[in-house]
Amino acid sequence: MIEVDNLTKAYGDRLAVNGIRFSVNRGEVIGFLGPNGAGKSTTLRMLTGYLTPTDGSIRVGGIDAISNPIEARRFIGYMPESVPLYGEMRVDEYLRYRASLKGVRRSQLKARVDASLQLANITDVRYRIIGQLSKGYRSRVGLADALVADPPLLVLDEPTAGLDPNQIRQVRDLIRGMAGQKTVLLSTHILPEVESTCGRVLIIHKGRLVGEGAPSTLRVAQEGRQALVVEARGARDAVDTLLKNTRGVRGILDTVVTEQQGAAPLLRYRLEVDSSEVAEAVFAAVAAAGLSLRELHREQTSLEDVFASLTTADAAAQHAEPAPATTAPADSDPKPGASV
Amino acid sequence: MNAVWTIAKREVFSFFVSPIAYVVMTVWLLFFGIVFYILALVFAQQAGGGGEANLLTAFFGGTTLFYLPLLVFAPVMTMRLLAEERSSGTIEPLLTAPVSEVSVVLGKYLAALTFWTVLWTPTLSYVWLVARAGKNTVDWGAIGATYLGLFSVGVFYMAVGLFMSAVARNQIVAAMLTFLVLGGLFVIGLAGYANVGDDLRAVFEYLGLWTQMASFSKGIVDTRYLVYDASIAAAALFLSVRALASGRGS
Repeated sequence: MIEVDNLTKAYGDRLAVNGIRFSVNRGEVIGFLGPNGAGKSTTLRMLTGYLTPTDGSIRVGGIDAISNPIEARRFIGYMPESVPLYGEMRVDEYLRYRASLKGVRRSQLKARVDASLQLANITDVRYRIIGQLSKGYRSRVGLADALVADPPLLVLDEPTAGLDPNQIRQVRDLIRGMAGQKTVLLSTHILPEVESTCGRVLIIHKGRLVGEGAPSTLRVAQEGRQALVVEARGARDAVDTLLKNTRGVRGILDTVVTEQQGAAPLLRYRLEVDSSEVAEAVFAAVAAAGLSLRELHREQTSLEDVFASLTTADAAAQHAEPAPATTAPADSDPKPGASV
Repeated sequence: MNAVWTIAKREVFSFFVSPIAYVVMTVWLLFFGIVFYILALVFAQQAGGGGEANLLTAFFGGTTLFYLPLLVFAPVMTMRLLAEERSSGTIEPLLTAPVSEVSVVLGKYLAALTFWTVLWTPTLSYVWLVARAGKNTVDWGAIGATYLGLFSVGVFYMAVGLFMSAVARNQIVAAMLTFLVLGGLFVIGLAGYANVGDDLRAVFEYLGLWTQMASFSKGIVDTRYLVYDASIAAAALFLSVRALASGRGS
Protein backbone atom coordinates (compact mmCIF):
# COMPACT_ATOMS: atom_id res chain seq x y z
CA MET A 1 0.00 0.00 0.00
CA ILE A 2 2.84 2.35 0.84
CA GLU A 3 6.39 2.16 -0.40
CA VAL A 4 8.77 4.80 0.79
CA ASP A 5 12.40 4.94 -0.20
CA ASN A 6 15.15 7.30 0.89
CA LEU A 7 12.58 9.84 2.01
CA THR A 8 14.32 13.03 3.05
CA LYS A 9 13.15 16.46 4.12
CA ALA A 10 15.65 19.20 4.72
CA TYR A 11 15.03 22.60 6.24
CA GLY A 12 18.18 24.45 5.38
CA ASP A 13 20.97 22.38 6.89
CA ARG A 14 18.71 20.52 9.28
CA LEU A 15 17.41 17.16 8.15
CA ALA A 16 13.97 16.71 9.66
CA VAL A 17 13.65 13.34 7.93
CA ASN A 18 16.79 11.59 6.81
CA GLY A 19 16.62 8.80 4.26
CA ILE A 20 13.70 6.82 5.65
CA ARG A 21 12.75 3.62 3.91
CA PHE A 22 9.82 1.36 4.69
CA SER A 23 6.84 -0.31 3.15
CA VAL A 24 3.38 -1.10 4.40
CA ASN A 25 1.26 -3.94 3.12
CA ARG A 26 -2.44 -3.83 2.48
CA GLY A 27 -4.46 -4.42 5.66
CA GLU A 28 -1.59 -3.79 8.05
CA VAL A 29 -1.85 -1.57 11.09
CA ILE A 30 1.48 0.14 11.55
CA GLY A 31 2.60 2.31 14.42
CA PHE A 32 4.94 5.15 13.82
CA LEU A 33 6.72 5.69 17.06
CA GLY A 34 9.12 8.37 18.15
CA PRO A 35 9.70 11.12 20.65
CA ASN A 36 8.33 14.57 19.94
CA GLY A 37 10.27 16.24 17.16
CA ALA A 38 11.58 12.96 15.75
CA GLY A 39 10.14 13.64 12.30
CA LYS A 40 6.92 11.63 12.55
CA SER A 41 4.58 14.40 11.48
CA THR A 42 6.92 15.56 8.75
CA THR A 43 7.01 12.04 7.32
CA LEU A 44 3.22 11.71 7.44
CA ARG A 45 2.83 15.13 5.85
CA MET A 46 5.03 14.04 2.97
CA LEU A 47 3.07 10.81 2.58
CA THR A 48 -0.20 12.70 2.40
CA GLY A 49 1.19 15.26 -0.02
CA TYR A 50 1.02 18.26 2.29
CA LEU A 51 4.78 18.66 2.06
CA THR A 52 7.02 17.95 -0.89
CA PRO A 53 10.02 15.79 0.01
CA THR A 54 13.52 17.11 -0.62
CA ASP A 55 14.53 13.70 -1.88
CA GLY A 56 13.28 10.15 -2.16
CA SER A 57 10.22 8.44 -3.53
CA ILE A 58 6.74 7.67 -2.24
CA ARG A 59 4.29 5.23 -3.78
CA VAL A 60 0.77 5.02 -2.45
CA GLY A 61 -1.44 2.27 -3.79
CA GLY A 62 1.08 1.76 -6.58
CA ILE A 63 0.89 5.40 -7.66
CA ASP A 64 3.88 7.70 -7.57
CA ALA A 65 2.72 10.29 -5.05
CA ILE A 66 5.28 12.86 -6.13
CA SER A 67 4.53 12.99 -9.84
CA ASN A 68 0.84 12.20 -9.42
CA PRO A 69 -0.16 13.69 -6.08
CA ILE A 70 -3.90 14.10 -6.60
CA GLU A 71 -4.43 10.50 -7.64
CA ALA A 72 -2.35 9.29 -4.69
CA ARG A 73 -4.31 11.43 -2.24
CA ARG A 74 -7.53 9.70 -3.26
CA PHE A 75 -6.30 6.61 -1.43
CA ILE A 76 -5.67 8.42 1.81
CA GLY A 77 -7.85 9.49 4.69
CA TYR A 78 -5.68 11.79 6.74
CA MET A 79 -6.15 13.09 10.22
CA PRO A 80 -3.55 15.78 10.91
CA GLU A 81 -2.05 16.37 14.32
CA SER A 82 -4.05 18.85 16.43
CA VAL A 83 -6.99 18.34 14.03
CA PRO A 84 -7.59 21.73 12.43
CA LEU A 85 -11.29 22.25 11.65
CA TYR A 86 -13.56 25.11 10.57
CA GLY A 87 -15.00 26.21 13.89
CA GLU A 88 -17.95 28.03 12.34
CA MET A 89 -19.39 24.97 10.62
CA ARG A 90 -21.67 22.30 11.99
CA VAL A 91 -20.29 18.77 12.16
CA ASP A 92 -22.72 17.55 9.54
CA GLU A 93 -21.96 20.45 7.17
CA TYR A 94 -18.25 19.96 7.61
CA LEU A 95 -18.35 16.25 6.80
CA ARG A 96 -20.57 16.86 3.78
CA TYR A 97 -18.12 19.48 2.58
CA ARG A 98 -15.15 17.16 3.09
CA ALA A 99 -16.89 14.25 1.44
CA SER A 100 -17.76 16.25 -1.64
CA LEU A 101 -14.22 17.69 -1.76
CA LYS A 102 -12.94 14.13 -1.75
CA GLY A 103 -15.17 13.26 -4.67
CA VAL A 104 -17.94 11.31 -2.94
CA ARG A 105 -20.94 11.26 -5.26
CA ARG A 106 -23.97 13.33 -4.33
CA SER A 107 -26.16 10.27 -4.12
CA GLN A 108 -23.84 8.64 -1.59
CA LEU A 109 -23.09 11.74 0.41
CA LYS A 110 -25.63 11.22 3.15
CA ALA A 111 -24.86 7.54 3.56
CA ARG A 112 -21.13 8.18 3.80
CA VAL A 113 -21.55 11.02 6.31
CA ASP A 114 -23.88 8.85 8.41
CA ALA A 115 -21.43 5.96 8.34
CA SER A 116 -18.45 8.08 9.34
CA LEU A 117 -20.41 9.75 12.15
CA GLN A 118 -21.31 6.33 13.42
CA LEU A 119 -17.77 4.93 13.16
CA ALA A 120 -16.32 7.88 15.01
CA ASN A 121 -19.21 7.68 17.50
CA ILE A 122 -20.23 11.32 17.18
CA THR A 123 -23.76 11.01 15.81
CA ASP A 124 -25.01 12.80 18.95
CA VAL A 125 -23.17 16.03 18.04
CA ARG A 126 -24.08 15.91 14.37
CA TYR A 127 -25.82 19.30 14.36
CA ARG A 128 -23.53 21.03 16.80
CA ILE A 129 -21.16 23.82 15.80
CA ILE A 130 -17.60 22.50 15.71
CA GLY A 131 -16.14 25.50 17.52
CA GLN A 132 -18.25 24.66 20.57
CA LEU A 133 -17.19 21.04 20.84
CA SER A 134 -14.75 19.64 23.38
CA LYS A 135 -11.31 18.53 22.29
CA GLY A 136 -12.32 14.86 22.41
CA TYR A 137 -15.22 15.46 20.06
CA ARG A 138 -13.16 17.63 17.76
CA SER A 139 -10.54 14.96 17.33
CA ARG A 140 -13.23 12.42 16.55
CA VAL A 141 -14.65 14.82 13.95
CA GLY A 142 -11.16 14.69 12.43
CA LEU A 143 -11.35 10.92 12.50
CA ALA A 144 -14.75 10.97 10.83
CA ASP A 145 -13.28 13.24 8.17
CA ALA A 146 -10.50 10.71 7.54
CA LEU A 147 -13.12 7.97 7.17
CA VAL A 148 -15.77 9.84 5.22
CA ALA A 149 -14.65 8.95 1.70
CA ASP A 150 -14.01 5.34 2.72
CA PRO A 151 -10.35 5.38 1.69
CA PRO A 152 -8.28 2.18 1.75
CA LEU A 153 -5.46 3.88 3.66
CA LEU A 154 -5.79 5.83 6.89
CA VAL A 155 -2.99 8.08 8.06
CA LEU A 156 -3.62 9.22 11.61
CA ASP A 157 -1.26 11.62 13.32
CA GLU A 158 -1.60 11.06 17.06
CA PRO A 159 -5.25 10.03 16.88
CA THR A 160 -5.78 9.67 20.63
CA ALA A 161 -4.25 12.96 21.72
CA GLY A 162 -6.67 14.86 23.91
CA LEU A 163 -9.09 12.00 24.42
CA ASP A 164 -10.19 10.63 27.79
CA PRO A 165 -9.43 6.99 28.64
CA ASN A 166 -12.83 5.74 27.45
CA GLN A 167 -12.55 7.54 24.15
CA ILE A 168 -9.00 6.29 23.74
CA ARG A 169 -10.26 2.74 24.12
CA GLN A 170 -13.00 3.39 21.58
CA VAL A 171 -10.56 4.76 19.05
CA ARG A 172 -8.19 1.84 19.60
CA ASP A 173 -11.04 -0.61 19.19
CA LEU A 174 -12.05 1.18 16.02
CA ILE A 175 -8.52 0.99 14.63
CA ARG A 176 -8.15 -2.66 15.61
CA GLY A 177 -11.50 -3.35 14.01
CA MET A 178 -10.26 -1.97 10.71
CA ALA A 179 -7.22 -4.22 10.58
CA GLY A 180 -7.47 -6.42 7.53
CA GLN A 181 -9.94 -4.18 5.71
CA LYS A 182 -7.99 -0.97 5.79
CA THR A 183 -4.34 -0.12 5.98
CA VAL A 184 -3.66 2.11 8.92
CA LEU A 185 -0.55 4.13 9.60
CA LEU A 186 -0.72 5.90 12.92
CA SER A 187 1.85 7.94 14.74
CA THR A 188 2.15 8.23 18.46
CA HIS A 189 4.56 8.71 21.27
CA ILE A 190 2.38 6.66 23.60
CA LEU A 191 3.76 3.13 23.79
CA PRO A 192 0.77 1.19 25.12
CA GLU A 193 -1.11 2.50 22.10
CA VAL A 194 1.28 0.75 19.78
CA GLU A 195 1.35 -2.45 21.80
CA SER A 196 -2.42 -2.62 21.86
CA THR A 197 -3.23 -1.68 18.27
CA CYS A 198 -0.36 -2.18 15.89
CA GLY A 199 0.89 -5.28 14.15
CA ARG A 200 4.18 -3.62 13.37
CA VAL A 201 6.13 -0.71 14.72
CA LEU A 202 8.51 1.69 13.05
CA ILE A 203 10.65 3.58 15.51
CA ILE A 204 11.89 6.92 14.28
CA HIS A 205 14.38 9.12 15.99
CA LYS A 206 16.08 12.29 14.82
CA GLY A 207 14.71 11.76 11.34
CA ARG A 208 16.02 8.22 11.02
CA LEU A 209 14.42 4.83 11.26
CA VAL A 210 16.09 3.17 14.23
CA GLY A 211 13.93 0.08 14.73
CA GLU A 212 11.29 -1.93 13.00
CA GLY A 213 9.27 -5.03 13.83
CA ALA A 214 6.29 -6.42 15.70
CA PRO A 215 5.94 -5.02 19.21
CA SER A 216 6.63 -8.49 20.61
CA THR A 217 9.74 -9.16 18.53
CA LEU A 218 11.15 -5.77 19.37
CA ARG A 219 10.76 -6.70 23.00
CA VAL A 220 12.42 -10.07 22.40
CA ALA A 221 15.32 -8.37 20.71
CA GLN A 222 16.03 -6.76 24.02
CA GLU A 223 15.53 -9.91 26.10
CA GLY A 224 19.28 -10.64 26.23
CA ARG A 225 19.49 -7.81 28.67
CA GLN A 226 17.65 -9.11 31.68
CA ALA A 227 17.73 -7.31 34.95
CA LEU A 228 17.04 -8.50 38.44
CA VAL A 229 16.19 -6.20 41.31
CA VAL A 230 17.43 -7.31 44.71
CA GLU A 231 16.89 -5.54 47.98
CA ALA A 232 18.88 -7.04 50.85
CA ARG A 233 20.26 -5.99 54.19
CA GLY A 234 23.93 -6.40 54.97
CA ALA A 235 27.35 -4.83 54.85
CA ARG A 236 27.83 -3.34 51.45
CA ASP A 237 31.16 -4.99 50.53
CA ALA A 238 29.93 -8.40 51.64
CA VAL A 239 26.72 -8.17 49.65
CA ASP A 240 28.56 -6.85 46.60
CA THR A 241 30.95 -9.78 46.61
CA LEU A 242 28.21 -12.27 47.31
CA LEU A 243 26.06 -11.11 44.41
CA LYS A 244 28.93 -10.80 41.95
CA ASN A 245 30.00 -14.35 42.68
CA THR A 246 26.55 -15.82 42.24
CA ARG A 247 26.40 -17.91 39.10
CA GLY A 248 24.59 -16.20 36.21
CA VAL A 249 25.14 -12.66 37.44
CA ARG A 250 27.03 -10.66 34.85
CA GLY A 251 27.45 -7.57 36.89
CA ILE A 252 25.92 -4.91 39.05
CA LEU A 253 24.16 -2.20 37.09
CA ASP A 254 23.60 0.11 40.01
CA THR A 255 23.28 0.15 43.78
CA VAL A 256 21.19 2.39 45.96
CA VAL A 257 21.28 2.55 49.72
CA THR A 258 17.64 2.78 50.60
CA GLU A 259 17.96 2.68 54.37
CA GLN A 260 21.15 3.57 56.23
CA GLN A 261 21.22 1.69 59.51
CA GLY A 262 24.57 1.15 61.16
CA ALA A 263 26.62 -1.72 59.82
CA ALA A 264 23.72 -3.33 57.96
CA PRO A 265 22.10 -0.88 55.57
CA LEU A 266 19.31 -1.85 53.24
CA LEU A 267 20.74 -2.05 49.73
CA ARG A 268 18.91 -2.09 46.45
CA TYR A 269 20.74 -3.62 43.49
CA ARG A 270 19.98 -3.89 39.85
CA LEU A 271 21.83 -6.86 38.46
CA GLU A 272 22.47 -7.80 34.90
CA VAL A 273 21.79 -11.51 34.64
CA ASP A 274 21.86 -14.26 32.03
CA SER A 275 18.30 -15.38 32.55
CA SER A 276 15.46 -14.98 34.94
CA GLU A 277 16.33 -18.30 36.61
CA VAL A 278 19.26 -16.57 38.25
CA ALA A 279 16.75 -15.19 40.75
CA GLU A 280 16.64 -18.59 42.41
CA ALA A 281 20.42 -18.71 42.75
CA VAL A 282 20.47 -15.20 44.19
CA PHE A 283 17.83 -16.16 46.71
CA ALA A 284 19.77 -19.28 47.73
CA ALA A 285 23.04 -17.35 48.05
CA VAL A 286 21.53 -14.58 50.14
CA ALA A 287 19.78 -17.11 52.37
CA ALA A 288 22.95 -19.18 52.77
CA ALA A 289 24.88 -16.09 53.84
CA GLY A 290 22.25 -15.49 56.50
CA LEU A 291 21.28 -12.09 55.11
CA SER A 292 17.73 -10.85 55.05
CA LEU A 293 16.06 -10.28 51.74
CA ARG A 294 13.28 -7.75 51.33
CA GLU A 295 12.60 -7.87 47.65
CA LEU A 296 13.59 -9.87 44.61
CA HIS A 297 12.03 -9.49 41.20
CA ARG A 298 12.70 -9.56 37.51
CA GLU A 299 12.67 -6.30 35.68
CA GLN A 300 10.55 -6.85 32.62
CA THR A 301 11.69 -5.37 29.37
CA SER A 302 8.81 -3.34 28.11
CA LEU A 303 8.53 -1.63 24.78
CA GLU A 304 9.37 1.49 26.71
CA ASP A 305 12.84 0.15 27.41
CA VAL A 306 13.29 -0.76 23.78
CA PHE A 307 12.15 2.67 22.81
CA ALA A 308 14.36 4.34 25.38
CA SER A 309 17.44 2.40 24.41
CA LEU A 310 16.83 3.05 20.74
CA THR A 311 16.15 6.73 21.07
CA THR A 312 18.73 7.79 23.61
CA ALA A 313 22.45 8.30 23.28
CA ASP A 314 24.02 7.38 19.97
CA ALA A 315 21.39 4.83 19.06
CA ALA A 316 20.27 7.06 16.22
CA ALA A 317 23.36 6.10 14.29
CA GLN A 318 22.34 2.46 14.26
CA HIS A 319 19.77 1.02 11.98
CA ALA A 320 17.12 -1.68 12.03
CA GLU A 321 18.20 -4.53 14.32
CA PRO A 322 19.04 -2.76 17.51
CA ALA A 323 22.14 -3.54 19.50
CA PRO A 324 21.20 -3.17 23.13
CA ALA A 325 22.64 -0.17 24.89
CA THR A 326 24.79 -1.00 27.86
CA THR A 327 22.80 0.77 30.50
CA ALA A 328 19.18 1.53 30.82
CA PRO A 329 18.34 5.19 31.35
CA ALA A 330 18.40 6.27 34.95
CA ASP A 331 14.74 7.18 35.04
CA SER A 332 13.39 3.79 34.06
CA ASP A 333 11.44 2.55 37.03
CA PRO A 334 11.65 -1.08 37.98
CA LYS A 335 8.65 -2.87 36.62
CA PRO A 336 6.45 -4.78 39.00
CA GLY A 337 7.28 -8.44 38.67
CA ALA A 338 7.41 -11.58 40.75
CA SER A 339 8.48 -10.63 44.21
CA VAL A 340 9.80 -13.20 46.61
CA MET B 1 -14.48 21.80 -11.43
CA ASN B 2 -16.67 20.19 -8.84
CA ALA B 3 -14.03 20.96 -6.22
CA VAL B 4 -13.96 24.64 -7.22
CA TRP B 5 -17.69 24.86 -6.59
CA THR B 6 -17.45 22.99 -3.27
CA ILE B 7 -14.67 25.25 -2.01
CA ALA B 8 -16.43 28.42 -3.16
CA LYS B 9 -19.68 27.37 -1.51
CA ARG B 10 -18.00 26.71 1.81
CA GLU B 11 -16.11 29.99 1.64
CA VAL B 12 -19.24 32.03 0.95
CA PHE B 13 -21.06 30.23 3.75
CA SER B 14 -18.19 30.87 6.10
CA PHE B 15 -18.00 34.55 5.15
CA PHE B 16 -21.67 35.12 5.75
CA VAL B 17 -21.70 33.48 9.16
CA SER B 18 -18.72 35.57 10.26
CA PRO B 19 -19.23 38.99 11.85
CA ILE B 20 -16.78 40.47 9.36
CA ALA B 21 -19.35 40.14 6.56
CA TYR B 22 -21.94 42.13 8.45
CA VAL B 23 -19.50 44.77 9.59
CA VAL B 24 -18.29 45.25 6.02
CA MET B 25 -21.82 45.29 4.59
CA THR B 26 -23.12 47.75 7.18
CA VAL B 27 -20.26 50.18 6.85
CA TRP B 28 -20.35 49.78 3.08
CA LEU B 29 -24.04 50.56 2.75
CA LEU B 30 -23.84 53.38 5.24
CA PHE B 31 -20.91 54.95 3.47
CA PHE B 32 -22.27 54.70 -0.04
CA GLY B 33 -25.72 55.69 1.18
CA ILE B 34 -24.32 58.91 2.58
CA VAL B 35 -22.31 59.61 -0.57
CA PHE B 36 -25.38 59.01 -2.70
CA TYR B 37 -27.52 61.21 -0.49
CA ILE B 38 -25.08 64.09 -0.63
CA LEU B 39 -24.67 63.79 -4.38
CA ALA B 40 -28.43 63.67 -4.81
CA LEU B 41 -28.74 66.79 -2.68
CA VAL B 42 -26.14 68.60 -4.76
CA PHE B 43 -27.83 67.62 -8.00
CA ALA B 44 -31.26 68.59 -6.71
CA GLN B 45 -30.01 72.04 -5.79
CA GLN B 46 -28.39 72.61 -9.13
CA ALA B 47 -30.50 74.50 -11.58
CA GLY B 48 -31.39 72.94 -14.90
CA GLY B 49 -33.03 69.61 -15.59
CA GLY B 50 -31.69 66.39 -16.92
CA GLY B 51 -29.49 65.75 -13.92
CA GLU B 52 -30.91 62.39 -12.92
CA ALA B 53 -28.84 60.27 -15.23
CA ASN B 54 -25.83 62.34 -14.32
CA LEU B 55 -26.42 61.63 -10.67
CA LEU B 56 -25.72 57.94 -11.23
CA THR B 57 -22.78 58.75 -13.46
CA ALA B 58 -21.41 61.04 -10.80
CA PHE B 59 -21.98 58.49 -8.07
CA PHE B 60 -20.24 55.63 -9.82
CA GLY B 61 -17.56 57.47 -11.70
CA GLY B 62 -17.69 61.17 -11.23
CA THR B 63 -15.08 61.35 -8.51
CA THR B 64 -12.01 59.39 -7.55
CA LEU B 65 -13.42 59.44 -4.02
CA PHE B 66 -15.46 56.49 -5.18
CA TYR B 67 -12.29 54.34 -5.05
CA LEU B 68 -11.07 55.36 -1.62
CA PRO B 69 -13.44 53.17 0.42
CA LEU B 70 -12.78 50.31 -2.00
CA LEU B 71 -9.10 50.49 -1.13
CA VAL B 72 -10.12 49.67 2.43
CA PHE B 73 -12.99 47.27 1.77
CA ALA B 74 -11.24 45.08 -0.78
CA PRO B 75 -8.37 44.11 1.57
CA VAL B 76 -10.80 43.39 4.41
CA MET B 77 -12.92 41.19 2.16
CA THR B 78 -10.03 39.15 0.82
CA MET B 79 -7.61 38.99 3.74
CA ARG B 80 -9.04 35.84 5.28
CA LEU B 81 -9.32 33.75 2.11
CA LEU B 82 -6.08 31.77 2.48
CA ALA B 83 -4.24 33.47 5.33
CA GLU B 84 -6.86 32.30 7.81
CA GLU B 85 -6.62 28.74 6.56
CA ARG B 86 -2.91 28.89 7.08
CA SER B 87 -2.97 30.42 10.57
CA SER B 88 -5.69 28.07 11.82
CA GLY B 89 -4.07 25.03 10.18
CA THR B 90 -7.14 24.11 8.12
CA ILE B 91 -4.99 24.48 5.03
CA GLU B 92 -3.55 21.05 5.84
CA PRO B 93 -6.78 19.07 5.39
CA LEU B 94 -7.57 21.28 2.40
CA LEU B 95 -4.28 20.63 0.62
CA THR B 96 -4.26 16.92 1.42
CA ALA B 97 -7.68 16.43 -0.16
CA PRO B 98 -7.50 15.19 -3.74
CA VAL B 99 -7.84 18.67 -5.24
CA SER B 100 -5.35 20.75 -7.16
CA GLU B 101 -3.99 24.12 -6.11
CA VAL B 102 -5.74 25.57 -9.15
CA SER B 103 -9.10 24.36 -7.83
CA VAL B 104 -8.39 25.84 -4.41
CA VAL B 105 -7.42 29.22 -5.85
CA LEU B 106 -10.35 29.34 -8.27
CA GLY B 107 -12.79 28.29 -5.55
CA LYS B 108 -11.57 31.04 -3.24
CA TYR B 109 -11.63 33.56 -6.07
CA LEU B 110 -15.16 32.65 -7.06
CA ALA B 111 -16.19 33.17 -3.44
CA ALA B 112 -14.49 36.58 -3.32
CA LEU B 113 -16.25 37.66 -6.52
CA THR B 114 -19.50 36.53 -4.94
CA PHE B 115 -18.94 38.80 -1.92
CA TRP B 116 -18.11 41.65 -4.25
CA THR B 117 -21.28 41.15 -6.26
CA VAL B 118 -23.41 40.81 -3.15
CA LEU B 119 -22.01 44.04 -1.74
CA TRP B 120 -22.88 45.99 -4.89
CA THR B 121 -26.35 44.56 -5.30
CA PRO B 122 -28.01 47.00 -2.86
CA THR B 123 -26.81 49.93 -4.99
CA LEU B 124 -29.34 48.83 -7.58
CA SER B 125 -31.86 50.45 -5.27
CA TYR B 126 -30.23 53.82 -6.07
CA VAL B 127 -30.89 53.18 -9.72
CA TRP B 128 -34.46 52.30 -8.87
CA LEU B 129 -34.83 55.50 -6.81
CA VAL B 130 -33.52 57.64 -9.64
CA ALA B 131 -35.74 55.87 -12.17
CA ARG B 132 -38.79 56.41 -9.97
CA ALA B 133 -38.19 59.98 -8.88
CA GLY B 134 -36.52 61.37 -11.95
CA LYS B 135 -38.20 63.17 -14.79
CA ASN B 136 -36.02 61.60 -17.44
CA THR B 137 -35.67 57.90 -17.97
CA VAL B 138 -32.56 56.17 -16.79
CA ASP B 139 -30.04 55.23 -19.46
CA TRP B 140 -30.13 51.47 -18.97
CA GLY B 141 -27.23 50.94 -21.31
CA ALA B 142 -25.07 53.13 -19.12
CA ILE B 143 -26.28 51.24 -16.04
CA GLY B 144 -25.31 47.95 -17.67
CA ALA B 145 -21.89 49.34 -18.54
CA THR B 146 -21.51 50.71 -15.00
CA TYR B 147 -22.11 47.34 -13.42
CA LEU B 148 -19.85 45.66 -15.94
CA GLY B 149 -17.16 48.16 -14.97
CA LEU B 150 -17.77 47.54 -11.27
CA PHE B 151 -17.47 43.82 -11.78
CA SER B 152 -14.26 44.32 -13.71
CA VAL B 153 -12.80 46.38 -10.86
CA GLY B 154 -13.77 43.46 -8.59
CA VAL B 155 -12.03 40.99 -10.88
CA PHE B 156 -8.88 43.07 -10.41
CA TYR B 157 -9.12 43.88 -6.69
CA MET B 158 -10.28 40.47 -5.50
CA ALA B 159 -7.47 38.69 -7.38
CA VAL B 160 -4.81 40.97 -5.89
CA GLY B 161 -6.32 40.47 -2.43
CA LEU B 162 -6.38 36.71 -2.89
CA PHE B 163 -2.74 36.65 -3.92
CA MET B 164 -1.72 38.66 -0.86
CA SER B 165 -3.73 36.30 1.31
CA ALA B 166 -1.83 33.42 -0.29
CA VAL B 167 1.59 34.84 0.52
CA ALA B 168 0.98 36.54 3.87
CA ARG B 169 1.29 34.60 7.08
CA ASN B 170 -1.69 36.25 8.72
CA GLN B 171 -4.76 38.23 7.82
CA ILE B 172 -3.53 41.62 8.96
CA VAL B 173 -0.40 41.35 6.85
CA ALA B 174 -2.52 40.21 3.89
CA ALA B 175 -4.81 43.23 4.27
CA MET B 176 -1.88 45.62 4.56
CA LEU B 177 -0.16 44.20 1.48
CA THR B 178 -3.37 44.40 -0.54
CA PHE B 179 -3.89 47.97 0.58
CA LEU B 180 -0.30 48.76 -0.33
CA VAL B 181 -0.63 47.43 -3.87
CA LEU B 182 -4.10 48.80 -4.62
CA GLY B 183 -3.33 52.07 -2.87
CA GLY B 184 0.03 52.27 -4.61
CA LEU B 185 -1.55 51.86 -8.02
CA PHE B 186 -4.15 54.41 -7.08
CA VAL B 187 -1.47 56.91 -6.13
CA ILE B 188 0.24 56.30 -9.46
CA GLY B 189 -2.96 57.63 -10.98
CA LEU B 190 -2.31 60.84 -9.07
CA ALA B 191 0.96 61.26 -10.94
CA GLY B 192 -1.16 62.00 -13.98
CA TYR B 193 -1.77 65.44 -12.48
CA ALA B 194 1.89 66.26 -12.56
CA ASN B 195 3.09 68.01 -15.69
CA VAL B 196 4.10 64.83 -17.49
CA GLY B 197 2.48 65.29 -20.85
CA ASP B 198 -0.76 63.84 -22.16
CA ASP B 199 0.54 60.41 -23.12
CA LEU B 200 2.11 59.67 -19.80
CA ARG B 201 -0.90 61.02 -17.94
CA ALA B 202 -3.13 58.61 -19.82
CA VAL B 203 -0.87 55.74 -18.81
CA PHE B 204 -0.91 56.76 -15.16
CA GLU B 205 -4.65 57.21 -15.08
CA TYR B 206 -5.09 53.91 -16.80
CA LEU B 207 -2.87 52.05 -14.32
CA GLY B 208 -4.54 53.59 -11.32
CA LEU B 209 -8.05 52.86 -12.59
CA TRP B 210 -8.91 56.54 -12.04
CA THR B 211 -10.72 56.83 -15.29
CA GLN B 212 -12.17 53.33 -15.52
CA MET B 213 -15.43 54.02 -13.73
CA ALA B 214 -15.66 57.51 -15.22
CA SER B 215 -15.74 55.90 -18.62
CA PHE B 216 -18.03 52.97 -17.79
CA SER B 217 -20.54 55.06 -15.84
CA LYS B 218 -21.09 57.14 -18.95
CA GLY B 219 -21.90 53.99 -20.83
CA ILE B 220 -18.57 53.75 -22.63
CA VAL B 221 -17.29 50.20 -22.46
CA ASP B 222 -13.56 50.68 -22.83
CA THR B 223 -12.20 47.22 -23.55
CA ARG B 224 -8.67 48.32 -22.70
CA TYR B 225 -9.77 48.42 -19.06
CA LEU B 226 -11.40 45.02 -19.28
CA VAL B 227 -8.20 43.58 -20.73
CA TYR B 228 -6.08 45.35 -18.11
CA ASP B 229 -8.22 44.13 -15.21
CA ALA B 230 -8.40 40.61 -16.54
CA SER B 231 -4.67 40.36 -17.17
CA ILE B 232 -3.75 41.63 -13.70
CA ALA B 233 -6.25 39.15 -12.26
CA ALA B 234 -4.84 36.27 -14.30
CA ALA B 235 -1.31 37.10 -13.19
CA ALA B 236 -2.37 37.37 -9.55
CA LEU B 237 -4.24 34.05 -9.70
CA PHE B 238 -1.32 32.33 -11.36
CA LEU B 239 1.01 33.63 -8.65
CA SER B 240 -1.45 32.50 -5.97
CA VAL B 241 -1.32 28.96 -7.35
CA ARG B 242 2.48 29.13 -7.37
CA ALA B 243 2.52 30.45 -3.80
CA LEU B 244 0.29 27.60 -2.61
CA ALA B 245 2.38 25.00 -4.40
CA SER B 246 5.66 26.35 -3.11
CA GLY B 247 4.21 26.37 0.40
CA ARG B 248 4.38 22.58 0.24
CA GLY B 249 8.15 22.84 0.18
CA SER B 250 8.36 24.42 3.61
